[in-house]
Amino acid sequence: MELKVEAAVGMSRKWDARGAGREVAETAIKKLSEPPSFFLLFSTIHYEKYGGFQEFLNGVWDVLPKDTPLVGGTVAGFVNNYGCFSRGASALAVSYSNIDVAVGVGRNTKRNPYRAAKKCAEMIQDSLKESLYKNKFLLNFISGPVMPSIPGVGQKKYIRSGFISKFAIQALGLSQALVQKGLAREDEIFEETVKQLPDYQMILGTSMDDYRAMKNYQFFNDEILTNSVVNLGLATDLDLDVCTTHGMKETNHNFTITKLGAGNHAICKINGKPAVPELLRLLDWPEGFLTEETMLHSILYYPISLKRNGRAVPVVMPLIMKDYIIVPCIIDDGEVSILTVSGKDLVNAVKENLQYFDEIQPEFGLFSTCMTILQTLGRKTNIVQEELCNYFKDKSFLLFYSAGEGTYSPTKDITYANMSFNTAIFGHQKK
Amino acid sequence: MYNRRHFSTGYIFIWLMDKYSRDVVVIGLKDDPIALVLDDLLKLDDILACMVARRNMISVMPSGDGFKPEVDQIWDSIHRAMDSVFGVIGEYSQIGLGEMEFRLQDHEVLFYVFPDTESALVAIVPALANKGLLEVELENARREILKIMENPKAEFGSQKKDDEVCVTA
Repeated sequence: MELKVEAAVGMSRKWDARGAGREVAETAIKKLSEPPSFFLLFSTIHYEKYGGFQEFLNGVWDVLPKDTPLVGGTVAGFVNNYGCFSRGASALAVSYSNIDVAVGVGRNTKRNPYRAAKKCAEMIQDSLKESLYKNKFLLNFISGPVMPSIPGVGQKKYIRSGFISKFAIQALGLSQALVQKGLAREDEIFEETVKQLPDYQMILGTSMDDYRAMKNYQFFNDEILTNSVVNLGLATDLDLDVCTTHGMKETNHNFTITKLGAGNHAICKINGKPAVPELLRLLDWPEGFLTEETMLHSILYYPISLKRNGRAVPVVMPLIMKDYIIVPCIIDDGEVSILTVSGKDLVNAVKENLQYFDEIQPEFGLFSTCMTILQTLGRKTNIVQEELCNYFKDKSFLLFYSAGEGTYSPTKDITYANMSFNTAIFGHQKK
Repeated sequence: MYNRRHFSTGYIFIWLMDKYSRDVVVIGLKDDPIALVLDDLLKLDDILACMVARRNMISVMPSGDGFKPEVDQIWDSIHRAMDSVFGVIGEYSQIGLGEMEFRLQDHEVLFYVFPDTESALVAIVPALANKGLLEVELENARREILKIMENPKAEFGSQKKDDEVCVTA
């Protein structure tokens, strides 16, 4: 007799933190006949102002059976069986007898990402090393970027002043080490996690606020954390696979990175010239085109395909400092293509992603998706939800919006990409 | 032209008609389900004002103290521009006009039209707001209001007290 997998999505739209915590747990576990094997919890940043995240988590634990493994954090929004939301809380609770579960945590991710990743991976390895189940999965969920506030400028996506830009580039590393504000370094953590746990299928996500990149929180059992990585490790007899798709297309615009800076996070020169004016020339954009507004509405549609350890890494350009382009991950110099993406391409990327899982009869699914896609599709995000509902039918799924995402499988290696859909689906191979 | 501050004077259902512009304002009742949906929207930092409106008439306002103060200075101009936009909505909603928006100074005004009507959910947001995220919640609100309009006697999410809310999907 086949054992029953029970998966349920919890949901709350309450404003009050404690009430929302209670409701998100209640609505999930009331649909399960057994206590959950694990509990994934995501919320938007709003509860910070309506009682705080400790109260939110207290509310969850008012209801959730003691010792249930719990990880999660704040996200820009989420999509589940009920709809698309950029405010509220959602959870995925799974109950299944043939699953071993472990959770891990590593702290100070922006200061020392390798140590945090190693510590977190070791906790998973130690807990699951005796497991007899051969299919292994890891959710690697990392504190996202926090934009440092520059004196006299504040938190801006575009800095016009050359002097301030030079200062900010120099100060970036210092800010990360001293106050842990800056880039998330999720690419480094993910690579180290893969190194530690190479036989796991993985999905990478990052915690965020409401797209402002001012703060984010991670949940680890009953603790609220910042600048941390939390892992959920599973070993099970369920079939599972991961897949990344993004829908970005190459244009005929290419350039060569000739100088990098800020620990290979900044493109200083392309084609031997200052990076930003040369980029504007290549795109036929006028001088002075870049502003806070165009950073929000235009540049997101022109990601670039960079290289990292020989792998293609499509990323958006989240921050421009006068002549420098800041990118969210460590990159190599060399040839780069400018990409483009439309709303239709993004929706097609979801369809393509789900087609990959045609041979799996799903029991539940987890998605990590770029928050820029949420920002781009806006109210049309419902199209994505409809695609997911058509695929999952009455089975549970939860998609959360991140600021840096990817997947890893031993057969496909690491795929790290911005503007991407990253899927982990658990179920049974169709016969 | 009416004084927006009159909105905070009570929760009773009032029609205010100003003798100069003939605008009509309907204030949301405390338990008006549509007003409660608008209350939820107004709690979002970047929603400076929201309402259900049509040309020369604001049908439902949030039930609380009205709009956020940032809108005060520009409200009269926005309101005049809104009426012009509602002229276009009135003309084209029957053939599928679904949404419109305009920018005035540092604000954007978003219109989500209720199908086959001349009414829309209207929100005023800062020009540099993360509009995509707001759009998701505005669309949720539009759908909820539409359900209320279609079935006014049923109870919906925002109508229920916090301890009564339950996800049923």
